[in-house]
Amino acid sequence: MVVVAGLLALGALVAGCQTPPAPAPAESAYVVPKTPDGAPDFNGIWQALGTAHWDLEHHAARQGPAPILGALGAIPAGRSVVAGGIIPYQEWAAAKRAENRVDWVKKDPAVKCYMPGIPRATYMPFPFQIVQTPSAIMVAYEFTSSTRVIHLDRPGTEAELPSWMGYSLGRFEGDELVVDVTSQVPDTWFDAAGNFHSDALRVTERYTRTGPNTLRYEATIDDPKVFTEPWKISMPLYRRLEPDAQILEFKCVEFAEYATYGHLYAEEPSPATGADEAEEEEEAR
Amino acid sequence: MTTNHSVHAVRGALTAAVLGAALPAAAETPPAKTAWGVADLQGTWNFATMTPLRRPRHLADKEFYTAEEVKKMEADAARGRAAWAQREYQSDPSQGDVDVGYDSVFLDFGTEYSGTLRTSLVVDPPNGQVPGLTRYALMRLAENREKWERRPRTPADRPPATRCLVGFNTGPPMSSGAYNNIMRVFQSPGYMAILNEMVNDHRVIPTDDSGHLPASVRLWKGDSRGRWEGDVLVVETRNFRAETNFNGSGPNMHLTERLTRIDADTLRYEYTVDDPDSFEGPWSTVQDFRATTDDVHEYACHEGNRAMHLMLAGARREERDGEEDQAGWLPTWFRGLPKKADLLRAWGEASE
Repeated sequence: MVVVAGLLALGALVAGCQTPPAPAPAESAYVVPKTPDGAPDFNGIWQALGTAHWDLEHHAARQGPAPILGALGAIPAGRSVVAGGIIPYQEWAAAKRAENRVDWVKKDPAVKCYMPGIPRATYMPFPFQIVQTPSAIMVAYEFTSSTRVIHLDRPGTEAELPSWMGYSLGRFEGDELVVDVTSQVPDTWFDAAGNFHSDALRVTERYTRTGPNTLRYEATIDDPKVFTEPWKISMPLYRRLEPDAQILEFKCVEFAEYATYGHLYAEEPSPATGADEAEEEEEAR
Repeated sequence: MTTNHSVHAVRGALTAAVLGAALPAAAETPPAKTAWGVADLQGTWNFATMTPLRRPRHLADKEFYTAEEVKKMEADAARGRAAWAQREYQSDPSQGDVDVGYDSVFLDFGTEYSGTLRTSLVVDPPNGQVPGLTRYALMRLAENREKWERRPRTPADRPPATRCLVGFNTGPPMSSGAYNNIMRVFQSPGYMAILNEMVNDHRVIPTDDSGHLPASVRLWKGDSRGRWEGDVLVVETRNFRAETNFNGSGPNMHLTERLTRIDADTLRYEYTVDDPDSFEGPWSTVQDFRATTDDVHEYACHEGNRAMHLMLAGARREERDGEEDQAGWLPTWFRGLPKKADLLRAWGEASE
């Protein structure tokens, strides 16, 4: 940062001497495109990379819960996306998180194909599409085809009911989209590592265009029942650049029924071997 | 769930329209176009209607009601429902329809007939009837019946709607159901998106007439592609899944929807079902959707699906108790499905 500030100061000095200004840092040089009605434009299909959906904090690679999947089912390593690295849990809550990690597959609501809530929906390993209008922004997430509406035209209002994806009120601060998310049910997690919250959760998201194909995503998590202080995650989001990119269907209920109700099945489901698909493909030919 | 604050205003506007041209142009008419120059279809739309899909048989060739007839039918329905609610209020709350499980407060069948005054949503064929089902379609329905009346081994033995996948009014196409008859339309350059309250699902539709996915990619809600024909958005949907069943349709249904903004309060919604595998001919409907100030709420169907848990637990309990499967698991609303034995008997007689 010192270097950047120095460069800026130098730029100002040089500009004062009426010589060509030094190049500004790339990020601030980027002119954020606007929608037809003049708002910073967030339209597009976006996706997070990284492993935050497995674990927001630092983690080494480890064995996944389905050994039959071998290398493909292992959990990859990742650096923390939490500012300061560590989530500031209250003592009881740290113990509860540890408890969540025992047998997490049975407890993680996303395993059951439940809506992931905010912020987890943003960094699930699936794309999402922003459809931006002057009065509201629709966010269509591929994971479980869940949806949220960010209202731009009703500041100060409150949700009639709590919900899985919460109640989102957005506003623009310069080129940033700032979204206050409230009224989320306490049932969602932040990741697959047992990180959790209560019904007092308030999330403040900031979306900032940093280039033609990148966004910076920040979310401040405030939940005085669970944490000692608010904490922040941040990560880049990337535009899906395939010319035919689209949100496809991932209605995962059918994939999660065994995980949800398996103890009530009359018979074990036969694992997908690929034989059915091969047969279908053969028929289609 | 929706309420109907706007009904009176809409009815008033309709009357004004019928009475004629002396009134100034409605001040609340929205900008006809978006900032990038296409028709603006945005808003929250209530598609509940009392107008039936098929014309009641006794109406024969009668294509339209009079405004007076509609007024009377709407008033009669309101009175009937009020009486029903009163009966519920006074009766033993512990008993009732434990199969369907809804009381009248939960239901939203609409309070008015379509502003078109038509006697059915189906306008083609002109008799207002959905064309007959093919043997293939009837047999699919009969097989569904056989599966759904049996004790479920796994959730896959229950209807897709019970599994919170698709069904009833999830669309496409959107059709008036028992509740959640509400959707919101969003537009951005190159896209039109529909958020439908039933199963809280979205359809993000490219409006650049891009090509469909290959036929091997099958989706519960099909693959939708849009294009503008003047101010009408035409959406073509295909690639449905094998479980698809809209009034008997199958996976090869080719659905064409046409959305037209008529005025501030009205979105005209037309669709054509073309599925020669399943119907003896294509058929088309028209319905005017009403603007509403209600929100589309999150309908967390799967997250709140206690019924699936209870059904499977009940099934396992019956097995433990050594009970025979009495084929009594068919939900009330599927009792009209054909029985395989009846079909085979009728077809046997037909071929003799």
